[in-house]
Amino acid sequence: MKLVFVNPERCIGCLQCEFACAVEHSSSKSGTTAWAEEPVPRSRVHVDPGPVMGTSYPSRCRHCDPAPCQQVCPTSAITRDVEQDLVLVDPETCISCAMCAMVCPFDALTFHPVGVGAQMRTVAVKCDGCIDRVRRGETPACVEACKVGALVFGELNDLVAEGRLRGSGAVLAAVTAAEAGEDAVAEGPVATWRSWGAAASRVESAATTVGGGSR
Amino acid sequence: MSTREFRDVRALSIAPDAQQMIEVARSEGIETVWDRLAAQQPQCGYCALGVSCRNCAMGPCRIDPFGAGPQKGVCGADADVIVARNLGRTIAAGSSAHSDHGRDILEVFAATAHGETTGYRITDEAKLMRLAAELGIATESRTTTAVAVELADLLMENYGTRRAALSFVERTPKVRQDLWDTLGVTPRGIDRESVEMLHRTHMGVDNDYVNILLHGLRTSLADGWGGSMIATELSDVMFGTPTPVVSTVNLGTLKPDMVNIALHGHNPMLSDVIVQAAEDPELIARAHELGAAGINLVGLCCTGNELLMRRGVPMAGNHLMQELAITTGALEAMVVDYQCIMPSVTDVAKCYHTVVISTSDKAKFPGAVHMSFDPSRGMEIGKDIVRRGVEAFADRNPSRVRIPVEPVQLMAGFSVEAILGALGGTPAPLVEAIADGRIRGAVGVVGCNNPKLTQDYGHVTLTRRLIENDILVLVTGCSAVANGKAGQMMPAAAAMAGPGLRATCEALGIPPVLHMGSCVDNTRILVLAAALANHLGVDISQLPLAGAAPEWYSEKAVAIGTYVVASGITTVLGVEPPIFGSRNVTGLLAGGLDDVVGAKFAVEADPEKAAVIIRRHIEAKRAALGLPALDLDAITAAVATA
Repeated sequence: MKLVFVNPERCIGCLQCEFACAVEHSSSKSGTTAWAEEPVPRSRVHVDPGPVMGTSYPSRCRHCDPAPCQQVCPTSAITRDVEQDLVLVDPETCISCAMCAMVCPFDALTFHPVGVGAQMRTVAVKCDGCIDRVRRGETPACVEACKVGALVFGELNDLVAEGRLRGSGAVLAAVTAAEAGEDAVAEGPVATWRSWGAAASRVESAATTVGGGSR
Repeated sequence: MSTREFRDVRALSIAPDAQQMIEVARSEGIETVWDRLAAQQPQCGYCALGVSCRNCAMGPCRIDPFGAGPQKGVCGADADVIVARNLGRTIAAGSSAHSDHGRDILEVFAATAHGETTGYRITDEAKLMRLAAELGIATESRTTTAVAVELADLLMENYGTRRAALSFVERTPKVRQDLWDTLGVTPRGIDRESVEMLHRTHMGVDNDYVNILLHGLRTSLADGWGGSMIATELSDVMFGTPTPVVSTVNLGTLKPDMVNIALHGHNPMLSDVIVQAAEDPELIARAHELGAAGINLVGLCCTGNELLMRRGVPMAGNHLMQELAITTGALEAMVVDYQCIMPSVTDVAKCYHTVVISTSDKAKFPGAVHMSFDPSRGMEIGKDIVRRGVEAFADRNPSRVRIPVEPVQLMAGFSVEAILGALGGTPAPLVEAIADGRIRGAVGVVGCNNPKLTQDYGHVTLTRRLIENDILVLVTGCSAVANGKAGQMMPAAAAMAGPGLRATCEALGIPPVLHMGSCVDNTRILVLAAALANHLGVDISQLPLAGAAPEWYSEKAVAIGTYVVASGITTVLGVEPPIFGSRNVTGLLAGGLDDVVGAKFAVEADPEKAAVIIRRHIEAKRAALGLPALDLDAITAAVATA
């Protein structure tokens, strides 16, 4: 299964992924004119500041399976594209009840106008995995825009393995620091890595509770 | 790095020599500008819209153009202020580059007047006297030296803070001078306006985008009617005012059996001496000794244009040809001064026997041999540089020499003096041809190459469409090289022009595309425009003229485009400037400015469409002057059905 993987310790907060995402989801697909469209195209990836100044995390829909948003959607507006393994929102059937946003473990859904003229209305907007690009054999726009490898696209287990090799050093450094009695949350990439890990655990337990899940 | 596949070379350049040499570079694993552009994709969207600011350490900041994120920088600047500040600094940088080039010429001119140089002299004494008289310096029964010293002093004062207006502002129609005064954009000091722009764009100074943009006009005018104009005029005085000359262009100007030395950059100061030094019998004898048939000098970029205009030195290529000239394997030395010389040339040169020789203490290149230029020992240094190139011939690997094409002929040398000379000493015949409609108008097609666009396609296509429709085209810089390579700059090219322009060109024996020089020589176009306006007793903005920079890339080009518009000539750009993040700034430059200075900017990447925009503009100007004009919608309709 190919997906977009996040290496948060590499994110430098440049917001290039947000820009590229908004342009990709515009009608003109032009970086020069997209911002002037009505409605304004919105980014579906959100670079939020981390707990320590200078850190940030590019958050986007994880395309969960089963997807909590899909499970709670009363109008079945949220479906899974089996071929690309992506969770999609149908703006035609969405009723903007925001149930999906309430259950999303990553708060990846936002609500913005889509459509043209009188047809324009506010619906749930989220990452569609750049399904058109992926079908053409291209990488998602946010990954293409990321110059530092914070967003990467590939086979999940390959990316995890890559992260394991990279992360092992950080784990050992963190352990060593803890044994030496240092304040591991003081500063630097190791601290970022640890606080992100802690945050991920909290999110995971919350998701299990909400979904009543068995994952 | 990038794992992208190589793009078809036909998408990168229309020039056969470029296409072939890109293939060679790829096959040998040599990185070129096109590879680096691909590796940079996608480029920063915030910067492309002009909404990023790193002027202070409360930032860096950027405005979210999509509205969800911050709409103000830390200091409170919104998109309008940030875009205007960035544009202002770009204009200041471009204006500074041209003006510092002008200052270097002026300093050598002053030293020459004082008899402190070797290899330099006052070549065009008549022009010196004309300039002096124009600027109010007494010439009657005075020596050349005395006049030159006084002219140098006066022009040095133009760089400072003692004047209310630059000397050459007087060349513009009175109505334009009054307009500039009313707007508060009359340029006062060449250095002053750039420095003031840096001041105004410091945090917490000028926070009104309109006020910043007005000073942008003034800063650019200090270039066009100041620094650049001084560079052109004094270069003519020292090295000779160009007259029509036939030469050759493209990489075929490199000779397989000769020592090839390319002169690259912008300033004719050193390269003109090198042309003299290369005629030294001792150096030629040494070249023969090493097995070469002689010494072959070629130009690159605007140093090349300066030498082509005045001495007929063959032109190897424009901006995007600089790396490819080295990959021919036939280049012994690349002598560089400054501006537009890619830092990569020394990397490419490492793959060959080519020696890169830097000569300006302002522009050093790791990997190059630095031979500091000193005008007091001009000829001696010139010979040292040529000797270095000759000696490198011994290291050439003949099996790697690949000269891709045969050279093409072009005619250059059209100074304003030469054009007026061809017309019989007065603009009247040109004005008559424009008035009766044989020639619809004139367009300066100028500016750089940019690897984002297919090299030379914009220059050549736009120029062709204009001459086909009886519009005289004036070219400088990279555009001149592109048009020359395409065969559009010999008198025989009159056959490509519409019937009215063709007849005029054939009667005068000139091409329909006139080479007016390097990029500082865009001032020749200003002078010609002002002369036409003064002849007719109208403002420049009323004339059927336009400017175009189809493939621009540099800060200097932004300064040029701005001074052309501020002088009253509407200009079409082929590459989007980083201003679109501000609706207000974009609206002003592409619309509102027309009500202020009688000209505006347009942006159109497709040269076919740019030609339509320009033709409509020219016919509208003709109609406003009461001259016979074509129906605007008929132009658009005819092009649509073609």
